[in-house]
Amino acid sequence: MASMIVADALVRAGHDVKQSEVHGMAQRGGSVFSHIRWGSDVDSPLVPAGSAEVLAAFEWAEAIRWVEYVRDGGAVVADIRTIIPPGACTDRRSWATRYPDIDAGLFDGRHIKTRLIDASSTATELGNVRAANSVILGSVAAFLDIDDVHWEAAIASLVPRGTVEINIAAFRAGRTVSDAEVPQQVPDPDGFPGPHQIEIRHEWCKGCDICSRFCPEFCLEVDIDGKLVVVNADACTGCRLCELLCPDFAITIRPPLEPAIAAGPTDATGSST
Amino acid sequence: MTDVKTYLREWAMPHVLCPGCAHGIVLRSFLESVDQLQLDRNKVAMVAGIGCSSRLVGYVDFCTLHGTHGRAPAFATGLKLARPELNVVVVTGDGDGLAIGGNHLIHAARRNIDMTVLMLNNSIYGMTGGQAAPTTPEGSVASTTPQGNTEPNFDACKLLIGAGASHVVRVLAANPLEMTKVMADAMTHPGFSFIEIISDCPEYFGRYNKVGGGAEMLSWMAVRDEGITIPLANKSFVKHVPSSAPPSGMKTGVLHREVRPVYAGVRGEQ
Repeated sequence: MASMIVADALVRAGHDVKQSEVHGMAQRGGSVFSHIRWGSDVDSPLVPAGSAEVLAAFEWAEAIRWVEYVRDGGAVVADIRTIIPPGACTDRRSWATRYPDIDAGLFDGRHIKTRLIDASSTATELGNVRAANSVILGSVAAFLDIDDVHWEAAIASLVPRGTVEINIAAFRAGRTVSDAEVPQQVPDPDGFPGPHQIEIRHEWCKGCDICSRFCPEFCLEVDIDGKLVVVNADACTGCRLCELLCPDFAITIRPPLEPAIAAGPTDATGSST
Repeated sequence: MTDVKTYLREWAMPHVLCPGCAHGIVLRSFLESVDQLQLDRNKVAMVAGIGCSSRLVGYVDFCTLHGTHGRAPAFATGLKLARPELNVVVVTGDGDGLAIGGNHLIHAARRNIDMTVLMLNNSIYGMTGGQAAPTTPEGSVASTTPQGNTEPNFDACKLLIGAGASHVVRVLAANPLEMTKVMADAMTHPGFSFIEIISDCPEYFGRYNKVGGGAEMLSWMAVRDEGITIPLANKSFVKHVPSSAPPSGMKTGVLHREVRPVYAGVRGEQ
């Protein structure tokens, strides 16, 4: 949608324009991008690497991913919003990630002007967070030589009915919005409390192998004598699959901080009645 | 949530069931559902007949009644009429409930007695040596059908819907969380609730039909299931899913639910 608006505005300004879009599943590491080329006569829709005038990144990691396409001395407009993809997760127990730090000076070596904006907050202040993309377009417009009349006509013709006003207001705000402060990245205060504890009651276990075959983390193994052993205690995420699927009540998963009750024969009376 | 092991008669454990038998998973899920409903353990009565599944009542710390072969629904009917305040749960197997006890089961359903019947279907007579049961799928090998079973098998849920059960569900033993939810639903349902649990018999059915042990049989249920649920066994982390596809066509989930008058005895007492 945003690239359609850019393309439409360029057409209105009298250029020959070619635009291409690729939609992948971004959350799983796929690509979502579009190229726009304009000029007096455009033959190919794709922008060669290292030649783009402006990169509009709707998310910080996308800016890093596509900055190779920007020419030296070009511009990057990036939203400071961060969407952490599952592929960046390094530890499923603590949700630690290797998401890159937001850094306005990261592309200085190539003389690329970096403009960081907080589009979501700006749009929220105007009344609708969904107009955030128009804020980004406004910031992009500052780097392109197109008259605002064309921009606003393009927005009015393409956004859903009833949202024209807010989108144009967001576009104007984007032109003038001040650079966003880079948010401090705070580490998770809870941190990783340690793996869950796997408690095996060997006198009940029959070595049927169900738990070890179903454990997604391969924590358990039945050894050559048919005895169940924990081979990878650190990997337990506490999913309780082994506990729920154990037909013999031989496995108990305890949360990390709770001290495990020593395994062994318990009180013969069992329970209260 | 309390540890469900507190509902066990721990002195009787470990139970007699074979390694890999899913009946233990069913028992655990049942205890979780009792825990979820916070039922008084002195107000839960488990009634069973004869068979592997019926052995489960020996390990639970509720009121238990171990009756004669196939007659568990009859005992449970009497118990419920005499002591209506009890939560009566019948544990039966496919042979116990559908062959020798078929009549008792359908008449309890017809009367809409307020009880829950857990029928653990392992498709074979496990306790007596792997003979073919009314639920043994056509073509499957049992000790009495070495060339493959030539008879069609029962669809227990259709039978019970026809007999008048007011709540009929089918679940897979490979799906413990769903089992817990379904059992809790059934125990709160007023009237006759029937749950067919697709369990397994690795020792006889799995061995004769070359399906494998407990883990393979749990995976195998996923192949059988055509239902609305996604069994755990269907997840890709299961290392070996056997290629010999069993007869499919079993729908899982809540197959029938209605509210109709509950039989309350001659004097009309509830």
